[in-house]
Amino acid sequence: MVIDTRVCVGCSACVYACKQENNVPEGYCRDWVVQESGGEYPKLTMENRSERCQHCENAPCVTYCPTRASHYAEDGTVQINRSLCTGCKACMAACPYDARYVHPEGYVDKCSLCKHRIEQGLETACVSICPTGSLNLVDFNNMDEKTKELLKGKIVYRQKEHAGTEPSLQWISASNKPGA
Amino acid sequence: MLATAVNEIVSTKINPNVVPHLHIWEWHIPLYLFLGGLAGGLLVITSIMIVLKRKFGIGPRDQGDGCPCLAVRIGSVLSPTLLGIGMLFLFLDLAHPLYVWAFYTTIQPTSPMSAGSWILIAFFPLAILQAMLVNKRQLRGFNIEPINKVIDWTENHMTIVALVNAHIGVGIGIYTGILLSFFSARPLWSSSILGMLFLVSGISSAAALMLLLAPEDEKPVYSMIDANAIWIELMTVGLFVLGGLTGSANTHGAMMHLITGDINLAGMSYMFWFWGIFIASGLVVPLLLEFLEAAGVHIRFPNVAPVMVLFGGLILRFLIVFAGQTYHTFM
Amino acid sequence: MSHGQNFSRRDFIKISSIFLAGSTALSAGAAQAFSGAGSSVGDEGSKVVYSFCEHCFWRCGIAAHVRDGKVYKITGSDHHPLSQGKLCPRGTGGTGLLYDPDRLAYPLIRETKGGKQFYRKASWDEAITLVAEKLYGIKEQYGPGALAMLHHGYGVSFFKNMFSQIGVNKYAKPSYDLCCGPARQATVLTYGYPSDTPEGFDMKNSKYMVFFGTHFGENMHNTAVQEISEGIRNGAKIVVFDPRFSTLAGKAQHWLPIKPATDIAMMQGLMHVLISENLYDKAFVEAHTVGFGELWDSVKDMTPEKVSAITDIPADAIRTVAREYAFHAPAAFVHSGRRTNWYGDALQRIRAIHILNALVGNFKMPGGVVAFQKFPLVQPPPTHEHPAYEKEVHSKYPFFPDDEPSNTIASHEIVQQAISGEVKGLLIYGVNLPETMTLGRDKAIEAMKKAEFVVAVDVLPSEVTGYADVVLPECTYLERYDDLDNGRAFRTPFVALRQPAVPPMYDSKPGNQIAKMITEKWGIHGAFPPSVEKGLDKKLRLVGSSLAEIKKKGVLVMPETDLYRKPGEPLNLKTPSGKVELASARLKAGGFDAVPKYTAHPEPPTGFYRMLTGRKPMLTFGRTANNRFLGDLATAKENEVWVNNHIAEKHSLENGEYVHLKNQDGVVSEFPVKVKVTQRIRTDAVYMVHGFGHTSAKLTWAHKRGASHNQLISRTEIDPAMGAVGFQNNFVTFIKEA
Repeated sequence: MVIDTRVCVGCSACVYACKQENNVPEGYCRDWVVQESGGEYPKLTMENRSERCQHCENAPCVTYCPTRASHYAEDGTVQINRSLCTGCKACMAACPYDARYVHPEGYVDKCSLCKHRIEQGLETACVSICPTGSLNLVDFNNMDEKTKELLKGKIVYRQKEHAGTEPSLQWISASNKPGA
Repeated sequence: MLATAVNEIVSTKINPNVVPHLHIWEWHIPLYLFLGGLAGGLLVITSIMIVLKRKFGIGPRDQGDGCPCLAVRIGSVLSPTLLGIGMLFLFLDLAHPLYVWAFYTTIQPTSPMSAGSWILIAFFPLAILQAMLVNKRQLRGFNIEPINKVIDWTENHMTIVALVNAHIGVGIGIYTGILLSFFSARPLWSSSILGMLFLVSGISSAAALMLLLAPEDEKPVYSMIDANAIWIELMTVGLFVLGGLTGSANTHGAMMHLITGDINLAGMSYMFWFWGIFIASGLVVPLLLEFLEAAGVHIRFPNVAPVMVLFGGLILRFLIVFAGQTYHTFM
Repeated sequence: MSHGQNFSRRDFIKISSIFLAGSTALSAGAAQAFSGAGSSVGDEGSKVVYSFCEHCFWRCGIAAHVRDGKVYKITGSDHHPLSQGKLCPRGTGGTGLLYDPDRLAYPLIRETKGGKQFYRKASWDEAITLVAEKLYGIKEQYGPGALAMLHHGYGVSFFKNMFSQIGVNKYAKPSYDLCCGPARQATVLTYGYPSDTPEGFDMKNSKYMVFFGTHFGENMHNTAVQEISEGIRNGAKIVVFDPRFSTLAGKAQHWLPIKPATDIAMMQGLMHVLISENLYDKAFVEAHTVGFGELWDSVKDMTPEKVSAITDIPADAIRTVAREYAFHAPAAFVHSGRRTNWYGDALQRIRAIHILNALVGNFKMPGGVVAFQKFPLVQPPPTHEHPAYEKEVHSKYPFFPDDEPSNTIASHEIVQQAISGEVKGLLIYGVNLPETMTLGRDKAIEAMKKAEFVVAVDVLPSEVTGYADVVLPECTYLERYDDLDNGRAFRTPFVALRQPAVPPMYDSKPGNQIAKMITEKWGIHGAFPPSVEKGLDKKLRLVGSSLAEIKKKGVLVMPETDLYRKPGEPLNLKTPSGKVELASARLKAGGFDAVPKYTAHPEPPTGFYRMLTGRKPMLTFGRTANNRFLGDLATAKENEVWVNNHIAEKHSLENGEYVHLKNQDGVVSEFPVKVKVTQRIRTDAVYMVHGFGHTSAKLTWAHKRGASHNQLISRTEIDPAMGAVGFQNNFVTFIKEA
């Protein structure tokens, strides 16, 4: 996923759409929105971004899971097999992004990158609702022209790369100048 | 990412026990880690006692029929018992306890939880054999054939059983620390010396417990073991703290959070718990008391020092588990 | 029921819980909808119903996904031009309204027994009979002018039709006075046509967008946000004048923290630079505008230095913005904003914005000001016997619109007429009057207490329902048909259908049925079609379609219109001069300034701070206040008062601490509010989101969350030209918790 923070306004439509799509219980969320502002008045900066499980290529949650409940799916996403999850929460301690939570029904849950929708050829709920077009579903192994154009010449970062988890989400920084 | 200095960060995230900070493990886990460490320590001490016998003058006195003294006998029984109780807490901590079988459908060498779940299983057979062996006089009294046979077998392999147990005990002790220290996402835990710290803390706690249980004439032995373990533990804590303080911003911040933190834990700040309860009353004061006692000064309540050590060991687990969670995730 | 004439004749009644949805067996279903039971699911086996949203005035197209008779998900309609498959958070939150356990379940009638007032459950027939009798009685006794309707919601057309049958047309939409009214009339006076929604800026093609204190991004106007985003992706620059570092300011190349209440001075300063530096579009101004000389006379003295002293923005920054704006023109605009009527001078303020646009010749140019078109529906002739009323305007303000039949008077005029006794009967449709910025909470309550008869049509037991004689529970927009929507102008003109996704829950009914029942109780038959479906079908057949056809996609869309003017094309504007009126002859004739002029507004007393307001992207004030689905997120649960870090230090306020607010007239907020210490606001103002601090305990989610902005409004300024209400001359200070 490529998240263009230049346009994100932090409205949280992605969060609500996910909650409905995935029947996330009240009081929980699989994705969330962060508004970060810095600098010193009146020279302030701001970045809004939608965050979720990073579907790391070297995912500590999978490494630490004692029962193989957390695993890599064939498409490279990180998924949870609920019928193997004991709720030991090792994955939650291991995740540098705090992307997981204990579902009230007794298993650890998180963003599935709407696996059920992608299998039907649909985009994820969050991507498909986003009014700003900030969220872009991208296959990094097979990047299309539109994405290449989107990323070209921009400051793009991944979160906590030094954690060594090889996260699959990329953010186009809000610090990009107009027309960069 | 943007500069970090004066940033205002607002998040919509609501997940309980994840925001404002991780709170996935409550009292179960520290208690389990303490009991696990104690069980490991007891196994190490008792098995070494069995191997050493009276050599070097520190082994247990034989109480006839090859049975060691009371402290070793009780310690050998307590070790698997306490671990069992600890595992019960671990079990209660699971969000879905009925799926506990899933631990034993696979071996995930990279998962400390998986490794731990197997070590825990491996612990029991030999620990129980040892507990039976040292209590053989009582057990043989029941005259149950299979039990007698098991005791016979163990007696023939006593040294090897005890030696293996010593290693398993060390393993359990280290494992309780390693369990946390593998989580690189939690800066406070992410220190390999934590395994060492929990091991020596487990041994000092075990020695303290045996000191409480031992008859008067055996006490000096355990007092000496305890004093030595406390010495080593003090140095290990020093290394742990230094390692944190001299580490990256993540680990430095996490260590400061532990040793100077103002977060309230049962009415007192982390700083107070760490320095006042764990370091001072859990290590330094008992060490002084035991030193004075060894030097011949009469201590009015000799049981105070070991109780303080045990309490300090318990607090150490609570502090590490809680402070590791309340400090922010790896950045 | 007996009515005395004393002031406190009607007490506020707390609606008993047994009359609310939460008490009925059906609430189990509502609760289940929130519980998250069951596992995640795909789209298989579900039905999609296309309709349009009611969570804000933008009215985006929605796709309601229904499974097992329940709406489980709402997404943006792919077919609706305002959504284009996308939706804002509030739109998704329709489920939170539909399955709100606090919903009104039955008609209620006020009773007095032993001096105690209470509501009792009534049958629809009984409640409708009482309403019909009372309204008719007032009309007969005092004339149609003694009845008035305050409304906010798309079902109003049926009640308008109902009232028109007995010659009543005193209608007011409070939002008009605060938000779109001044913009509409300013556009009429400058360009000769009313501004609309979306506002008529070619945002996605713009290279330079200037905003004055409007908060796109926090105001989640779907299409506007989509177009601004596209503009940003295309390299547009954004300039934001705002005392607060808003989300939109976070996207800006220049955030200029202007001193509140000085916008017009800044606009005059920009005009001064454009003209004095010869940056304006001379050809356009000469060919298509009138009043340039008068304009220059009025801004001649407004040098950047002078404006800088007024606005607290460096003179160089004013020059830079004016120069960049002219450089990018005509693909540049100054946006007229929404809900920017703050000081009673909004008409002139938005006129100034239009003049800034006209000066750079961006009218009907790519990236500039454009006029979107509406879908032309053929309106059937009125069915009532009072055609004269269609044209009547009741407002006393000279530039109140005379061509907007659903707004014939300002809402504060109705409130005042109810207090003075001129209005005796009130129908309040979907307006939570005590929490609406009309003249503040106290006046609203006084008006409702003094009126002889008040009927409230609502979905939720909001504060207003406690003051009504009869409460009629309407079903939500997801359970009903409403009139066709061709009221939105856009690139591709369209007409949209509101249709039920699920049948009405509890004993609630759609507005179209309620209005019809009342009308028929008056003995008037034939005013409404036999069924709402037949009426819609008939209207659609006039444009060659049918209800069956529009139901499929929820919308009929015309091809894209040409928005841009050709070289040499005459503008043929419907202003008196036929040109863009930089100086307005009509305003002048009415005794007002022909060109906008800055006037100073009151300053906060020492230790007080101007109370600014806005909203959170997932909430729309009253409509979503009790929506627990939307209220679930950490940032949605309550409002905060934003306080500059230096001011916080001065008042010893800690981030996150709760304080009460007290305004200049001694009004103290009923509930405490959380302090947000931030650099993101000037030192002379504080900011709090409107729509929190509800007092009705029956709004079990909204009750006592945050503090009410409305409660702290005790001063209002009415625009003497068009009657809009300004509310930002209220100042607050902090009362620390003991």
